[in-house]
Amino acid sequence: MHKLFSVVRREFVTRVRTRAYLIGTVLGPLLMAALFILPAALQFRDTGPRKVAIADADPSGLGLRLAASLNAATRGRDRKPLYAVQHVPATGRLEAVRDSLLARTGLSRREDAGGLDGVLVVTDTSLATGTVEYLGSNVGSIADMRMLENRVQPVLLRERLQRAGVDSATIASAAQPVTLATRRVAGGKVTAQSGEASFFLAYVMDFVLYLALILYGVQVMTSVVEEKSSRIMEVLVSSLSPFQMMLGKVLGVGAAGLLQIGIWAVAATAVTTYGVQIARVFGADLAPDALGGIPSFTPDLLAVFLLFFVAGFLLYSALYAAVGAMCNSTQETQQASSPVTLLIMAGLISMFALLGEPNGTLARTLSLVPFVAPFVTPIRYALAPLGLGELLLSLASTVAGMLVITWLASRIYRVGILAYGKRPTLPELLRWLRTA
Amino acid sequence: MSDQAVVRIDHVTKRFAGHVAVRDLSFDVPRGGIFGLLGPNGAGKSTTIRMIMNVITPDAGRVTVFGRPASRDLSDRIGFLPEERGLYKKMKVLEHLVFFAEIKGLSHRDAARRGEAWLARLGVADWAQHKVEDLSKGMQQKVQFIGALLHEPELVVLDEPFSGLDPVNSQVMRDVVVEIARQGRTVLFSTHIMEQAEKMCDHVVIIARGRKVVDGRLADVRREAGTRHLVLGFADGSRSPAAAAVLQDRTLLARVHDYGASAEAELAPGAAPGRVLAALVGAGVELTRFEVAEPSLHSIFVARVGAEAAVAPASEEVGRA
Repeated sequence: MHKLFSVVRREFVTRVRTRAYLIGTVLGPLLMAALFILPAALQFRDTGPRKVAIADADPSGLGLRLAASLNAATRGRDRKPLYAVQHVPATGRLEAVRDSLLARTGLSRREDAGGLDGVLVVTDTSLATGTVEYLGSNVGSIADMRMLENRVQPVLLRERLQRAGVDSATIASAAQPVTLATRRVAGGKVTAQSGEASFFLAYVMDFVLYLALILYGVQVMTSVVEEKSSRIMEVLVSSLSPFQMMLGKVLGVGAAGLLQIGIWAVAATAVTTYGVQIARVFGADLAPDALGGIPSFTPDLLAVFLLFFVAGFLLYSALYAAVGAMCNSTQETQQASSPVTLLIMAGLISMFALLGEPNGTLARTLSLVPFVAPFVTPIRYALAPLGLGELLLSLASTVAGMLVITWLASRIYRVGILAYGKRPTLPELLRWLRTA
Repeated sequence: MSDQAVVRIDHVTKRFAGHVAVRDLSFDVPRGGIFGLLGPNGAGKSTTIRMIMNVITPDAGRVTVFGRPASRDLSDRIGFLPEERGLYKKMKVLEHLVFFAEIKGLSHRDAARRGEAWLARLGVADWAQHKVEDLSKGMQQKVQFIGALLHEPELVVLDEPFSGLDPVNSQVMRDVVVEIARQGRTVLFSTHIMEQAEKMCDHVVIIARGRKVVDGRLADVRREAGTRHLVLGFADGSRSPAAAAVLQDRTLLARVHDYGASAEAELAPGAAPGRVLAALVGAGVELTRFEVAEPSLHSIFVARVGAEAAVAPASEEVGRA
C-alpha cells in the first residue's frame, strides 16, 4: 500500500509540476470563456445599425411598409436601432436606381460617406412570388441574414392577408409568435430543465470524459513508454509488482487529470454564472439568458456520472498502459493506440445515436457494452428516467468489463515492459497473454 | 544446503530466441564479502543477475535468494544497480532517491534523510534539487548507485558498477562497496575488467558463453592456477628477435601474455624458472623484473576462457530483443 502510494504520488507530483500542466490549467478556462462568451459577444457586439436602401419598384407601397418595419426594429435595453433605411422609389426605372445604389454598397461605413451595407430590391412581383432580392456586402453573415428575413417575412405575410380581405385585428392576433417551451420529465416529475439544457448537459458530460481519456489516458501510455525507453523499468520491476506499477500510474495520472478538470469545472461554473457580467467587460450587452446557462447537476446525476467516469477512465487507461507496454517509442504508440482511440470515438458518437431515443433498444444495448457504457448510461440517466435495475446492470457490466480489461492489460504489461525490439504481432500478443 | 549461501544458482538454464544465454549454471554466493561475477561481454552475467533479481525467470533450474526462491517479496532486502542505467529525467535528484527508497519500503522522512547524507558523502549534495537530466552521466550513475543502497540492503547486486566512471569517482564507489562488505553485508558485482575484481573480490566466479569456468575464493583460485607463473619486466629497447624467440619457445613457456614492457608467462611442463632466466639473459634481454608468482586474474581468465571467448557474440544484447 505504501509502495503503491509512492508510485501514485510520483506520477501525480511530476505531472502537476510540469509547465504544460500549469499552462493547460490556466489556459483551459480562458479558452472555455472565449468559446462561450466570444461568439455571443461578437454576435451582439454593437456594430451600429445596418444601412439598407430599399429600391422600391412596387406601386402599392410595400417598400414603404418594409422600411417602416425595419426602422422600428431595435435591440437591447437602450433600444438601439437595428437598421437605418433609405427608401428610394424606383417604379419604372428599377435598373438605374439599383445600379446607382449598388455603387455605394460596401463603401466606407462612415456616416458622411453615404455608404450602404446592402440594397433590398422590391418589385411588383415580390408579393406574389415571395421573392425579395437583397444585394449586400454582409450576405455572408448568417445572423444578419436571418434577422433581415425575420423582419421581411411578417411584412409580406401581413400584406398578403390584407389583400385577401382579412381585417387588421385578426392579422395582429394571428401574428403573435408561438414559443415551444420544453421541460424535461424525470421520474414522472417535471423538472425545471429545458430540452436544450438536457442536451447540453449530456454533451458536456461526454465531452469531459472524452477529453479526460484523450488527454490523460494517452499520458498513461507515454509514461509507460518513457519508463521503458529510459530503462528505469528494471529497477521498478525488481521492486514493484506489475499491477502496482500499472495501478499506481493510472491513479496518479488520473488524479492529476481530475484536479485539472475540477479546476476547469469550477471555472466553467463561474463563466456561465457570471458570463453576462464578464461579457460586459468585453463591451457586449447580453440578455441574462443569452448564454443558455449550464444546467445544474443534481446530486444523483453527479454520482452516476462520476461512477461511470471513474470506471471508464480506469478501463481505457489500462488499455493505454498495455499499448504503451507494447511499444518502444512515442512514435510507435501513435499507430498502436489507434484501436483504443477508435473505441473512444465510438463511445462519443454513440451519444448522438441515443439522443433521439434514450430508451430505445440501441440505447439499452449500448448501456451493456463496457467500452461505450461510460459514455451512454449517464446521458440516458440525464435525458430520460432509467430504472434502478437497468442502471445497476449497466454499472455492473462496465465494472466487470473494466476488471477483465485491466487483468488482460496487466498481463500484456507484465511481458511488454521488459520486451524491447519489434512491436508484437497479434499472435505474439496472444502468447503474451497466455505466458504472463 | 549451506546456510551461508545468500544466493544459490542451481543448474540454471535460460534461453532466448535462438540461443542459450546461460547453460546449466550452478554457484553459491557466500554470506558477507565481495563476490565477483566475471566474464567477457555476452557471457551471461547480466542474464544471471536479472534472474537473481527475478526480472526474468530461468527456463530450468532454481535461483534461491536468502534460502527462498527468488521473488519480489525479497526485494526490500536487496539493492540493485542494473546494467542498463535509467532514471526519471524530469525528477529532482533527492526526490528521485526518495522514490527509490520508498518502493523498497522506507518511510518518506527516512528516505529523505538518508538520501541527503549519501549525496553529501558522494560529493553531489549541491545537485539535490536539480533535475536528473541536468546531471552528467557519471553523476547520474552515482545517483542510481545511491538509490540501490538507501534501504541498507543485506545483499547489494551491482551490474558493471564502475563502467564509464573516471578513476576518482570509481575509487569513491569502490570505497563504498568495501565498506558494505566490512559491515558483514554481501556485495555481488559483475565486471569484465579483471583488475577491478582482483583488487576487491573475496570470491569469484568466471563464466563464459553461459557456462562456469572458474569458481572459488580468489586466493584459492590463484593458488590453484599454480606457482608455475612468471612475471617479466624488460628494460627499454632490450627486446631483440632472440628474446622473442625465447618467449615463443613452447618447451620453456606454455603460454605468454606479452604486454610489451612486461609479460606474464606460464612455465611449460618440465621447464624450470632458472632455464627461462638463463635463456633470456643469453638472448641479451635486460630484465628489470623476474618473479615466480601467482598468476593475475587476467591471465587466469584468458587461460581458462580462451582467446576466442573474449570475442564471443554479444548474446546478452540479442537476448534483450
